[in-house]
Amino acid sequence: MRCAEVHPNLAAFVLDGLEPEEAAEIRRHLASCPRCQDEARELRKVNRALEAAPPPADPPSYLKEGILSRVRAERLSVSDKEEPQGSSFEDRTGSSRTSRFNRLKDLRVVLPSAAAAIVAFVALGVFLGFLREEPPVATIQLVPTPREAAGLEGYWGVAEIRPQLSGNQQVELKLNNFEEPKPNSYYELWFVSGAKRISAGSFTSVGEGETRVLLNVAPEARNYRTVLITEEHVDERPTSGEEVALKGKAP
Amino acid sequence: MEVAAGDILESDGIRRGQRSVASQRADELTDEECMTRLGGPEVEAALSALYDRYARTVYGVGLKILGNRSLAEDLVQEVFLKVWRSADTFDSSRGSFSTWLYRVARSCALDLYRKRASRVRQAADGAPHIAAARDSSAGPQEVVDESWLSWRVSRALEALDAPHREVIELAYFGGLSQREVSERTGVPLGTVKTRTAGAFRRLRKELAVDDTLREAIR
Repeated sequence: MRCAEVHPNLAAFVLDGLEPEEAAEIRRHLASCPRCQDEARELRKVNRALEAAPPPADPPSYLKEGILSRVRAERLSVSDKEEPQGSSFEDRTGSSRTSRFNRLKDLRVVLPSAAAAIVAFVALGVFLGFLREEPPVATIQLVPTPREAAGLEGYWGVAEIRPQLSGNQQVELKLNNFEEPKPNSYYELWFVSGAKRISAGSFTSVGEGETRVLLNVAPEARNYRTVLITEEHVDERPTSGEEVALKGKAP
Repeated sequence: MEVAAGDILESDGIRRGQRSVASQRADELTDEECMTRLGGPEVEAALSALYDRYARTVYGVGLKILGNRSLAEDLVQEVFLKVWRSADTFDSSRGSFSTWLYRVARSCALDLYRKRASRVRQAADGAPHIAAARDSSAGPQEVVDESWLSWRVSRALEALDAPHREVIELAYFGGLSQREVSERTGVPLGTVKTRTAGAFRRLRKELAVDDTLREAIR
């Protein structure tokens, strides 16, 4: 075997990926070829460096959406406080960028008499805001409970909240690989706060792939920050405490 | 589930018709250029582009050093939110974005590691076997040492194009022979070997063999 034949196979050789006969030929050549020995030594270093590599894995796709929605919500919060225009869904608070609010604080001190005008402006902003297609004011990641229940290729979902002109909150569910309910069962979406709960309605799922569901919930649900999807049986009274399939919390 | 410039708010003065253009531009920007856009109206497109380039590395390193998917997911979230919130602390004249991001990730990982250790300690009060498990785990400094090399190797792998990365992942991480890789992918055996050799050449270059590999074999 000549060097020109050995070189293209050396990487596969150090990976232990050649057939036994091929590997034996390479070994015989290496025993008598210092140049190829040097090359093999360098490639073995690469092979050893791979030991430090993390396992190849993609983060769950909902992570990116969750991060961007957090950024969006915090920017909205800043925007609302500087130029009040929108609704006051609870998750718009919590920004760590407090320094940006200093100017707003000054404004409140200097112009306290403008409060009435601001209230009117907010109302107008809310009204105009509902007239056009808005991004959700909150995007809530829904994860299996327990998380391991979904397995490696598991199911998951996202709930997007949009306030409506009527005051109701529209909830758009985007569920992925969320299996169909058992026979004579259905899913129910709940907004929960402590022992209190509000149902946003019932639905089913198509199983593999994406299921989109549009539901509405009463305005009071904006203060109920935990979201549950439970599986309910048609013959029993719905509850939010049992058979929880997905769970999320407003950021 | 892609969220890019399409989510930039109307209040930022970006019209809907311009969004896809802004998103395309972000894909073509360097890491450093993306960072300069995190304070402006293109924040989501820029952060999205950085996420697409680095999330696998952050997640993979998180899995390796934190040991479970839940914590690794927390790490990804913490890191990219911190990238956005701390964008003004990045100075491209002092080093690459990748190195800066590694420091951010390391800091977040150590925080998560300590939180996990704290939880284990609390739980261990009534469960001696958990305390024993804790004692055998790596300490924070070991976590840091290990993570830098993991980061470098992960970035080198991410620098490979998809066909070359695929053969390495199947051969090294999947333990498949070259023939099995060929059968799995439908790519001729000769091409698999050529890609393996090419991938190793590229990795050797990316890892700056003289520096990084010395750490690997230390």
